[in-house]
Amino acid sequence: MNDSPKSPMQEIWQCQPVEGLKMSVEEIHHRAEKFEKKIMWRNVREHLSGLVAAVLFGSFFVKSHDPLFRTACGLLIAGLAYVAWQLYRKGSSRNLPEHLGSESSLQFYRKQLEQQRDLAASVWSWYLAPLVPGLVLFAVSSALADPRPRKLAALALYYGFCVALFIFIRQLHTRGARCLQRLIDELYAAERPSSQEL
Amino acid sequence: MSEAGAIPAVRSTQDELYSEAASSYGPALERLAHAYEADPDLRRDLLQEIHIALWRSFEGFNGRCSMRTWAYRVAHNAATSHVIRQRRAKGQGLVGLEELENLQDVSSGRDADRNRSLARLMDLIQRLKPLDRQVILSYLEGLDAASIGDITGLSPGNVATKVHRIKSILARRFNAGGNDNE
Repeated sequence: MNDSPKSPMQEIWQCQPVEGLKMSVEEIHHRAEKFEKKIMWRNVREHLSGLVAAVLFGSFFVKSHDPLFRTACGLLIAGLAYVAWQLYRKGSSRNLPEHLGSESSLQFYRKQLEQQRDLAASVWSWYLAPLVPGLVLFAVSSALADPRPRKLAALALYYGFCVALFIFIRQLHTRGARCLQRLIDELYAAERPSSQEL
Repeated sequence: MSEAGAIPAVRSTQDELYSEAASSYGPALERLAHAYEADPDLRRDLLQEIHIALWRSFEGFNGRCSMRTWAYRVAHNAATSHVIRQRRAKGQGLVGLEELENLQDVSSGRDADRNRSLARLMDLIQRLKPLDRQVILSYLEGLDAASIGDITGLSPGNVATKVHRIKSILARRFNAGGNDNE
């Protein structure tokens, strides 16, 4: 601790009223368990939309007799499952790591940003690409099922929108990854001794 | 087989370390949570999250740094995770000390009211990027430059530069923080 006299702002800061939260060890055990459950449900909620879509495609798969359409449904379900697994594995909102105290704040923050950057930079391979085979096969089976020009035009319009959306998502994430990289570079610079120290 | 209700040795040490840290640094952790989260409900959640993270972390406490450094690191890292999550959800922008130095403070001037000063200080801290926030909080808690370096991982030169900036910002905005006594 610094032995020099406190500045007025340090005085104001350290004398601010606090609630004085006190938790017994038993309470901490109990709350830690509750907290783990809360995190689990938060993860379940995050994957809920994917689950709903998978159930929907699953019902199409069961009801349809068209092999191409059924394959498309199967591919989309597999794609959604892969995305959900990647989301879980890459830990977008998992529990806090246990080594929080062994890393300096700068290392910890940098690792968090690097993880986000990698997620954003590779969004095509883990988030968009797994859905492409199913979507393409859907387009093919729809076109074969009803090849009238008006239907084909509507289909082309719909899939054109999908392609534009995919490109937009990818570009947005690529830009996000570049912004994160700038922050990461700043943190590397802050860790290195400054020119005056060398 | 252990007796019913007996606590394993590791768990017992973990519990003791947590109790010691919570009683020594509890108020500082509360001030820290306040500086990271303005919303009272979210702040309570964050403080609870910090305490749980602290308890869990002591399972791997290796004694290579002081308990104070360990506790502050855990608290700052847990709070930084919270800020990242919240910023993603709300799309908030944060600024660095350098930008803050150049920003005009519309309500600057001598402020005799401690509560108002504290509220303004809190507002200023909550706008900062995580690393700068960690340095200013450590400075306000009265930690020396070496301890700030241990907690944040910043080089001594960078700590000195940031602390100098903090003092200048506090002096300019509150006419109070420029006590150059370190």
